[in-house]
Amino acid sequence: MSDAMHVSGPLAAAPKPVSPSLQAWRMFRQNHAALVGLAILAAIIVISLIGPYVYTVPPREMVWMPLTPPGQSEYILGTDYLGRDLLAGLINGGRVTLLVGFSAACLTVLIGVSVGALAGFFGGWVDNLLMRVTEFFQVLPHLLFAMVVVMLFSPTLLNISAAIGVVSWTSTARLTRAEFQRIREMEYVKAERAIGAGNARLIWRVILPNAAPPLIVVAALSIGTAILFEAGLSFLGLSDPNATSWGRMIGDNRPYILDSSWGVTFPGLCIFLTVLAISLVGDGLNDAFNPKLRQR
Amino acid sequence: MSGKLLSVRNLEIAFRSGGEEIPVVRDLSFDLDHGETLGIVGESGCGKSVTALSLIGLVPNPPGRISKGEILFEGEELVKAGERRLTQVRGNDISMVFQEPMTSLNPVYTIGEQIAETARAHFGLSQSKAWARAVEMLSLVGIPSPDKRAHDYPHQLSGGMRQRVMIAIALVCEPKILIADEPTTALDVTVQAQIFDLFRDLQKKIGAAIILITHDIGVVAQMTDRVLVMYAGRKIEEGPVADFVRDPRHPYTRGLVSCIPRLAMPPDDEPAPLFEIPGVVPAPRELNRPGCAFAPRCASAFGKCRSQDPALHAAGDGRAVACWLETEGNAA
Amino acid sequence: MLNGSVIKLSNAVLLLIAVLILNFALIHVAPGDPVEVLVGEMGGATPEQIADLRAHFGLDRPLYIQIATYLGRVVQGDLGYSLYYDQPVTQLIAGRVGPTLLLVGTALLSAILVCTVLGVFSAQKRRSVLSHLVTVLSLAGFSAPAFWVGIMLILLLSVAIPILPISGMSSSDGAASGVMYVLDVLHHLILPALTLALIYLAFYSRLSRASMLEVLESDYVRTARAKGLPRRLVIYKHALRNAVLPVVTFAGLQFGQVISGAVLVETVFAWPGLGTLAFESILRRDTPTLLGILFFSSVMVVAMNLLTDFLVRRIDPRIKAQ
Repeated sequence: MSDAMHVSGPLAAAPKPVSPSLQAWRMFRQNHAALVGLAILAAIIVISLIGPYVYTVPPREMVWMPLTPPGQSEYILGTDYLGRDLLAGLINGGRVTLLVGFSAACLTVLIGVSVGALAGFFGGWVDNLLMRVTEFFQVLPHLLFAMVVVMLFSPTLLNISAAIGVVSWTSTARLTRAEFQRIREMEYVKAERAIGAGNARLIWRVILPNAAPPLIVVAALSIGTAILFEAGLSFLGLSDPNATSWGRMIGDNRPYILDSSWGVTFPGLCIFLTVLAISLVGDGLNDAFNPKLRQR
Repeated sequence: MSGKLLSVRNLEIAFRSGGEEIPVVRDLSFDLDHGETLGIVGESGCGKSVTALSLIGLVPNPPGRISKGEILFEGEELVKAGERRLTQVRGNDISMVFQEPMTSLNPVYTIGEQIAETARAHFGLSQSKAWARAVEMLSLVGIPSPDKRAHDYPHQLSGGMRQRVMIAIALVCEPKILIADEPTTALDVTVQAQIFDLFRDLQKKIGAAIILITHDIGVVAQMTDRVLVMYAGRKIEEGPVADFVRDPRHPYTRGLVSCIPRLAMPPDDEPAPLFEIPGVVPAPRELNRPGCAFAPRCASAFGKCRSQDPALHAAGDGRAVACWLETEGNAA
Repeated sequence: MLNGSVIKLSNAVLLLIAVLILNFALIHVAPGDPVEVLVGEMGGATPEQIADLRAHFGLDRPLYIQIATYLGRVVQGDLGYSLYYDQPVTQLIAGRVGPTLLLVGTALLSAILVCTVLGVFSAQKRRSVLSHLVTVLSLAGFSAPAFWVGIMLILLLSVAIPILPISGMSSSDGAASGVMYVLDVLHHLILPALTLALIYLAFYSRLSRASMLEVLESDYVRTARAKGLPRRLVIYKHALRNAVLPVVTFAGLQFGQVISGAVLVETVFAWPGLGTLAFESILRRDTPTLLGILFFSSVMVVAMNLLTDFLVRRIDPRIKAQ
């Protein structure tokens, strides 16, 4: 508990006001699991960004005997069925995976927040209509729909990200809507409206910043969901032929598991660690923003 | 003492919070006779509800537990009794009516079933006999067309009706003690009066002793034989209700009694302004400092009040007060 | 009650029509002539087949008539024709539904059973090992890709300790019959069902524990204890029935995701269901089949929603009243 929150009596000199984000960070800092998650995530991002310049083995060329187990050559994680270096593949694959995960999550948040904000703010028939659309996308089996889209529109990174974003936004929209419905009725929003603030200002400048904390958590978690989604699509063969992601490495090596378990184990571990780290950070953020819910 | 129906001795209830155990009820003793109505009065947070729960072994654990003392029901120690024995006592010998009728009934079962299952659990009645008993109870607590209503779900009833159902559940096994924890706080004033009439009526029929927990002195004055006042987890005054209302001894009790204008009798016969006790009840954590817990809010407090905790002091006619004013003369 | 059901039902039908319109739109928006999309790179179709397809979609007529024709055909059970399999899509799907239902049903039921038990026990002892296990299990299960978990289980239970078959639904010789066949299928079912159940568990166990925790602290559970009901009745009669409500609702809403998991797991284990069919139709660029599966899965999701809605109404009398 931060001491700054307790002000005893009206006469006690108020300590310096602490900004909500600083307060959240103080809570977050005490959450060891979340800090570990943050460290893992930072390491993965750094490796993906600068790794390819440090470890310069080409990821898509045959460099050694195919199916060499880990630790038996200079390529420490071994080679795959085409004699490609697994470590180089992982380092370069991380970029693709993170890129798709991040851009799909951006689209998810963009659509989800827009739909939820409009529905929650205006209510009435707008709400009704938008919630029907949301319901529709909730019922649609996400993976199958994305499979259809990617197959019909050629599997580029852009199309894959778009397909993931287009199906994943429903829970963000529902949450945003609920937050907007709640905050819309608050006194300060009514006050802003009374002094003549327009709808656009109310939505973007007044309500949205106050709805931000839970949305940040959902946005963070949706990166993880998107990464898993991309991995699934790649595993099914729907991946950009010019960019190897971790999911695709699993799909590619899947027929050879009897000869090279490492070819699927390591990329899978990478996905697992990344999504786990994101989940831990997301949970940590959630606790930091809602200290009351922490006991659960 | 062996003749007492219920005898609570030096009860202490502690809650674990942030690594330390903090007592919320301390050194509490009281007795209850057959057929008697005892009022336990105090502000919210004074430990009266936890005390009630402790009598049937329902102190939420963790974080709470009975850390000291004993509870003797007809001479039988209940603090150390096992869960199996407590299950037999609850609802059968000692039953309880809670404050919130809106949430205290299970929304997914009919009210008939919720009464009947209690009878089945304790008397081993058959389905049909228990159901008949439930309908009988519903009519006893004044619910019209009980055989139809028994099939209703809680959400189909008003708050007052639900509280009647709760009372029916509590009385279906004709317990020896009925504990009512703020039974009317959540209800309309007119419904409150009906519920209290019902209590009095049923007490005559069943002959149960009642422990009525409330913050409302007016209710205590009308309903009870004897009063016990709690402040910050301790008993600070006890006595027959008539004496208590006419001549409250503890400054806190005086404050409480004068909160109801109709009952207040100021010595100079001038209509007193509506009295209000300044300040709030201290948190249990703040009680480790020496002195009387009420001292910071007490207008009559003097030096000793801030350094030493007053013990309970007999004041004749079964009365007792924990206040230095009683023993140290009329310093005020 | 009746009124509510009618609204639900018409809502469901509208949703399915929307899925069909979306299917239709996708074919038209996708790059290239719709017929080209449908024939695709499946390897040339004969001119008659192309003419057939043109007629099927009424491509020479105005768009709204095309949509109407399309909807009309679907209502008659015609989801198109797979050139690769040389079979109507409806027939193809019908042939693959059984295995999928068997797999998903087994996994879902066992997951719900296990997570109910986990929820009941872990909620009663908050700081216990079991309680932490639920947290770890759900976090790990949520973070690991379903198909990868499947492969890891194969490596463990089919390769390292060879006790379970790697893939398929029955042994290749196909000689077994009767009881032996059933046992053989069950033997093949264990790994894929286990994988899928683990994924579902990750979704449900945390929710079921949180829900149970909340219910155990409710006033009516306190009432049930104060009545002197035995612990068994308090937990299983009074608490569980209320705690199960949000889990059932969630299961209905998330059924689309349940199917997504099944697609991936079926592919890993070459389980001959709809998921493997979807995977194969991607390989063959067999658009009609994939679209058919998408539509059929939507039907299953909608049906599941209606079912959970019915269940929730049965469990919770308050909803009936509204």
